[in-house]
Amino acid sequence: MLTTVSEATLSITAAGPPRLSEDWLAVAIGLGVFALALLSLGGVDALGWVATTSVWIDPGAALAPASKAYASLSGPGALLLTYLALLAVLSAGAAALGEDVKRFAIAFTAVFAIAYACWFVGSAARLAAVTPADQAKYGLAWSLKLTSEGGFIIALLAGLAIANFFPNFAERLRSAIRPELYIKIAIVILGAFIAVTAAGKLNLASSLLLRGLAAIVEAYLIYWPIVYLIARKGFGFSREWSAPLASGISICGVAAAIATGGAIRARPQVPVLVSSLVVIFAVIEVLILPVLAQAFLAREPLVAAAWIGLAVKTDGAAVAAGGITQSLIQAKAAAEGINYQPGWMLSVTAAVKVFIDVFIGVWAFLLAHIWANRVNPRPGQKAKAIEIWARFPKFILGFIATFAIALALALATPAGASGKLAAAIGEANVLRVIFFTLTFFSIGVMSNFRKLWADGLGKLAAVYLVSLIGFVVWVGLLISWLFFAGVKPPLAS
Amino acid sequence: MPKSDLRDEMKAAAEPLLPVERKLIVWSLALGVALLVVLVLINRVLPLG
Repeated sequence: MLTTVSEATLSITAAGPPRLSEDWLAVAIGLGVFALALLSLGGVDALGWVATTSVWIDPGAALAPASKAYASLSGPGALLLTYLALLAVLSAGAAALGEDVKRFAIAFTAVFAIAYACWFVGSAARLAAVTPADQAKYGLAWSLKLTSEGGFIIALLAGLAIANFFPNFAERLRSAIRPELYIKIAIVILGAFIAVTAAGKLNLASSLLLRGLAAIVEAYLIYWPIVYLIARKGFGFSREWSAPLASGISICGVAAAIATGGAIRARPQVPVLVSSLVVIFAVIEVLILPVLAQAFLAREPLVAAAWIGLAVKTDGAAVAAGGITQSLIQAKAAAEGINYQPGWMLSVTAAVKVFIDVFIGVWAFLLAHIWANRVNPRPGQKAKAIEIWARFPKFILGFIATFAIALALALATPAGASGKLAAAIGEANVLRVIFFTLTFFSIGVMSNFRKLWADGLGKLAAVYLVSLIGFVVWVGLLISWLFFAGVKPPLAS
Repeated sequence: MPKSDLRDEMKAAAEPLLPVERKLIVWSLALGVALLVVLVLINRVLPLG
């Protein structure tokens, strides 16, 4: 079973054995949201009550239900309903994961309240207004032009502050700090959003997917052997440390480090500590790389998006950084009068990540085979092919399902009726944004820099830093440039 | 894992690279570079968009 840091830590507080893996839970919740969204095609608006926050100058007018059909709920009523619905669904999920439901519900209440407050603050016009027209509309002489997705950064910073200055409070939140679960649900929902976005420009979309193959080659066959060599020869790490470290830095952070640790039969602490390191560096990357992308790659939006997908490890951080990069670059372009269709940059980042994730199981199987037969041969210990399936990140199946169904619907829908499908997926997308915000906040809360340093991980961090700055960032940029230079997202009509 | 154990591990003598590890590194890199060249060529033949 593919586990994560959060699962590893949860084993301490779990009330019973899990009946469902985190991946399958994410698939179930993501598909549930998608199915509810599709009901509106039949005239039943099942998600219109979800709370959404628009860019505001008057906080009292910022909150509203996603659909006007639920206007009578009012903004605060919609927010309360959204909280209660998420609490019910995720508490049931926590029960299925074998966790203490009461403890989860209390922690989730605080996590939701803080994370949504951050999103709300991030939507303030002073932070979020982008174009001169927007600034004039809100009567502002200046704004930070972060778009409302600046709320993600505020959530991350709030989480970091709690982790590093209020560790006891962070500990109390721990059972609802599940960034991998939140982002996997968001990615399943994202599949539908990408499909609806892509349907309008199918040639470009299929070409983008083809380029995902380059990401697989880069992560597994270029990054991995170089990081492994640096860890083994440059820093003198043992094989037990070097393999999970190489996977964590090269492939997909937490999931890959833990899958590799299992494959080579490392002690459980090794991949967990490597995963902690990956999460910390992902946080730093989320804060820095989108700003660099906006500064230097604003005229090459898809190069920037692919670069983020290749350079930032962990699904949550990568897709989140892709979202911020999209906002920052779109804001800069909009200020120059260029309005890109939203969704394309995020789609490229997500596609790159999903392609890389798909092969974790195959890579873990290959390493298991080599370690069992050549590195640490023991009689009767052989890697089984079923491990490929066991280590396959199942949430990707949910992503593929929502993508395929939404794409088929979009292509089968007459041009005049396509707005109905887009509106339906748009309502699901409101929940996707909430799950993104929960992810950002959770990543922050998990990142206690002082504790990590006290655990003696400085040398591991050095490998990460050397690899990241030495070549991961640059090779990723080169490959992204080779495949995406000169390609622009379609313009908004 | 106690902190002292982890720190001791970091200072432990390096294990030499086994031939199979060398092979894994060299073959991965060679295959990776070759596949990237092929993909770049395909990218030239089938440009995006």
